[in-house]
Amino acid sequence: MVFDSLDPRINRLNLHLQRQEEYKSVSLDQLPTYEVFLQLKPDKEYQHAGIVHAATPDTAFLFAKEQFSRRYTCTGMWVVSSSCVWVTQCMELEESIYDHLPDDLHETKESMSAYDIFHLYQRGKQHKHAGKLMASGHGDAVIRAKQQLDQGKPVLNIWSVKTSDVRTTGKEDLEIWSTLPQKSHREVISYRAGEKLKLFKEKKHGPPAK
Amino acid sequence: MYGGGNIFEASRFDNLAQEDPEKLAEFEARIARGEKIEPSDWMPALYRKQLIRMIEQHAHSEIIGALPEGTWITRAPGFQRKMALMAKVQDEVGHAQLLYSAAETLGKPREQMMQDLINGRSKYSNIFNYPAFTWADSTIISWLVDAGAIVNQLANSKGSYGPYCRALERICAEESFHLKYGHHAVIHLATGTKIQREMVQEALNRWWPPMMHFFGPPDKVSVHTEVLTKWKVKMATNDECRQQFLDMYVPKIWELELTIPDSNLKKNSQTRQWEYSEPDWEEFKRVINGDGPCNKERLAVRRTAEERGRWVREALLTPEAKYVTPLA
Repeated sequence: MVFDSLDPRINRLNLHLQRQEEYKSVSLDQLPTYEVFLQLKPDKEYQHAGIVHAATPDTAFLFAKEQFSRRYTCTGMWVVSSSCVWVTQCMELEESIYDHLPDDLHETKESMSAYDIFHLYQRGKQHKHAGKLMASGHGDAVIRAKQQLDQGKPVLNIWSVKTSDVRTTGKEDLEIWSTLPQKSHREVISYRAGEKLKLFKEKKHGPPAK
Repeated sequence: MYGGGNIFEASRFDNLAQEDPEKLAEFEARIARGEKIEPSDWMPALYRKQLIRMIEQHAHSEIIGALPEGTWITRAPGFQRKMALMAKVQDEVGHAQLLYSAAETLGKPREQMMQDLINGRSKYSNIFNYPAFTWADSTIISWLVDAGAIVNQLANSKGSYGPYCRALERICAEESFHLKYGHHAVIHLATGTKIQREMVQEALNRWWPPMMHFFGPPDKVSVHTEVLTKWKVKMATNDECRQQFLDMYVPKIWELELTIPDSNLKKNSQTRQWEYSEPDWEEFKRVINGDGPCNKERLAVRRTAEERGRWVREALLTPEAKYVTPLA
């Protein structure tokens, strides 16, 4: 049975209501996930914002802009597949994960690559970019982070990401934020109705008594 | 927006005696200290189950809620209203994505949540099973349903599960535009011509009963509810939320000289509580179980969107794609 909806867009779909068979999702039907990091100002560190589901890093980048930066602009955005983030154990308050990592590096003949390290300083908050370093793997990266990025402040949890896995913001991407200032219809300030309400009340009841 | 009135049901799997008492004590101490629970922390099965259920219902409400409001996008009165409504509907779908992500961190993949929604195994807010007959219905939804949503969401944002709280903080910040836009649109009609006033009054008459259902039936006080309150899963009772909504919005409706279709509605000056005619809870149950004016349409639209979009998702997927639970 095709039905009449109040929404003309839905009528155009020619929907049938009486379907009885179970709907079945298949694996990855909703696409894999990407972690999104935003830099709100040029001198601020990148901070985790959340995730998006996307098929590729480029589509993840576009979806991330719509999801996390369609209303407020930012100076940079990174996306990385959740499967490419290496995570340490999570510590209790005042306890730093760095206190549980060895001080000494093992000599390695493996080739070195760039890694980005993110720190979690407080439960309930989000990971912040702590710095970039060269390492032979994720395990090596966090040990080197202890030497290079540990400021003594307790770090509850570390995320390590190989820099080549990060989809960063290029100059050509900046255009996607350029129309944001024109979108005042998304701002609270565009919906002032106090004056109209005051006139309505005055018309009904006269001016307010002083 | 969000459908409130979560009904937390106990089941035979909810036996806390099966949990490790030492880990349970640590978990409860963490919540008592005001710390958030994060996805990698140990948590009781009941906590995980109830949070998945609650966040998932909330996410479904956001995408299904976009449908009654979206009904009027093509016929919005003027370009500014059309732009605003489109932006609002886009926000609602964005909220759904934030919430599905928070639920995913608890271990339920989005595919499973979508399947349960379409097959009617998980619920969404009952209010979205009602139709938006006129433009005025759309403005009443934008104002009052979002107002109710904010009452619920602000309470839940003080809860204990980190990813849910973070999603809600982002959502609440965006809801302020929705509320202002909705109020602005209702004021425009209520202070306009006789026909406009009649139109908005009729819409209010239609939406008031579902709005009273919105916060859910009065909570049953049980040990189960007490545990969920202690764990900061349940942050306010359905009646507390309903009272708060009435306190904030009845004066604003009366200010516009609109009539609320309940002759018993008044604030008791001694108890400082609102008194009202009890809404028809039988109708609430009937609609939540699938027999409302729009249940079938809402799910059919969702199912069609999933099915007809599948080939695009498949075409985009790369062979190396693999699913892992998102991190935070």
